[in-house]
Amino acid sequence: MKEFLRPVFLVTWKDILLELRSREVVIASMVFAVMVVVIFNFALNVTPETVDILAPGILWVAFAFAGVLAMSRAFVIEKDQGSLEGLLLCPVSRDSLYFGKMLALFLFMTVVEAVLLPIFAVLFDFSAFSFTLIGVILLATLGFATVGTLFSSIAVNTRSREIMLPVLFFPVITPVIIGAVETSTGAIGSSVNVIGVGRWLQLIAVFDAVFLVLCPWAFGLVMEE
Amino acid sequence: MIALITTPANNIPYLFAAYAVTWAIFFGYVFFTSRRQHELEQEVRLLRDTLERGRISEDPDASN
Amino acid sequence: MGSVQTDQVTMTSSTASRSYLGSAKSVLLLAAGAFMLANMYLIFMWAPTEAVMGHVQRIMYIHVPMAWLAFLAFFIVFVGSIMYLWKRESRWDMLASSAAELGVVFTSLVLITGPIWGKPIWGIWWTWDARLTTTLVLWLIYVSYLMLRAYSSNRSQGALYSAVLGVIGFVDVPIVYFAVNWWRTQHQRLVIGTGSLEGSLNADMRTTLYFSLLAFTILFSFLLWQKISMKRTEEDLRSIRYSKELTRGARIER
Repeated sequence: MKEFLRPVFLVTWKDILLELRSREVVIASMVFAVMVVVIFNFALNVTPETVDILAPGILWVAFAFAGVLAMSRAFVIEKDQGSLEGLLLCPVSRDSLYFGKMLALFLFMTVVEAVLLPIFAVLFDFSAFSFTLIGVILLATLGFATVGTLFSSIAVNTRSREIMLPVLFFPVITPVIIGAVETSTGAIGSSVNVIGVGRWLQLIAVFDAVFLVLCPWAFGLVMEE
Repeated sequence: MIALITTPANNIPYLFAAYAVTWAIFFGYVFFTSRRQHELEQEVRLLRDTLERGRISEDPDASN
Repeated sequence: MGSVQTDQVTMTSSTASRSYLGSAKSVLLLAAGAFMLANMYLIFMWAPTEAVMGHVQRIMYIHVPMAWLAFLAFFIVFVGSIMYLWKRESRWDMLASSAAELGVVFTSLVLITGPIWGKPIWGIWWTWDARLTTTLVLWLIYVSYLMLRAYSSNRSQGALYSAVLGVIGFVDVPIVYFAVNWWRTQHQRLVIGTGSLEGSLNADMRTTLYFSLLAFTILFSFLLWQKISMKRTEEDLRSIRYSKELTRGARIER
């Protein structure tokens, strides 16, 4: 186990160092997510009466779009500098490489969401510190990162990769988005449906579990090239 | 149960539209794949002939 | 030079067997046409008119079989993708990608005929009902499959990537269905009525539906075969180009 985890953390640490120096991912997606919220506020004309219904949707659209922006950078940085070949030559298994990249992406997205959530809470006037909300954000973000790492590694090798990533990502991630919005509605709104929330969290957890098995396997195949 | 918006008699245009669209798309699809298939077969024949001719003219054993 | 000759031999023998298959394909096309004509007779002349919905209910006889075949197509994509990832033989990729294209065509038609049927019955073109929404997400997944192939930088890469998506997408479908189904039960959005479009089918309607399914299955088989043989021809073309370059190379060496 320790032999497996060490290279995983090394890959993650490499990405964190890179991010600390370049600040390409976290700041950019954060600013982008705030802009999404502002645009949605004008588009949907959010009022205190409608905020309970609209806020969860806006929250998750912002998170999902910011997430795609973050994951699109995950392999571009490797590809442009030709450092992917170097990584693949390292005596590190493809699985460790996948989990390392996935963990880094998960961390970046979590940091972005942690900063955005209080801003949303102030703008839309709801309590951000509910365990349900934080739980679903972590679970759903894990799902985003799991699928996103694989699709990012695929999209980066195609022509017009900026288009391919969201086109691949959004249809597959639909169940997570639905579950996350439903759970957040329960957490933010006045009507908390405990049974419903539990079922949605289970569904997202099943999604995460299935793709945590499938995606590393698929990643190994994709990286053979 | 189902509440009817239109009476059964005047919904025939919808029926017609559904079948028209379906057959138009199917015939279009078959037409374009057939045409592409035909083009490809022609190109195979052309290339094979060129290849055959090239081989006879430049084969040193044939001229000796 | 020798290798080129063996190429040539395999080429001609495969072409011979293929022209034999070609005539079998024509037979299948004729069968598809004949069954479709009989199917249209059954649908418009023989099947009784549904009492509540009237003539528009006859859309069901093409809508439902096309939906079933679309799901079959995506299942074929899944099997072909797994076999391709396992064996790495291009024929599995041809099967998977051909089935994906047909699946998208059939799903598009399901998504077009559905609202045309729903409008006079429900009064609305579209409702975010569990089956409709799942079908739409399914369509999006396989459209992205075809896009991935179109935008990949070379053929083997496109085959590999799309095979991965063929597996991931299919595994995702039941999860999407559960999510959409629960989501629907929490929001009763259907404005008018909750009855299923099929309604109650009597014995003659059922017979017509099954005959239609048979006719569409024959049509589907023909289209799949046609598409696969087209991809084979494309591969033939590439191999001939390759052997042509081989002879050029031989000439330079000489």
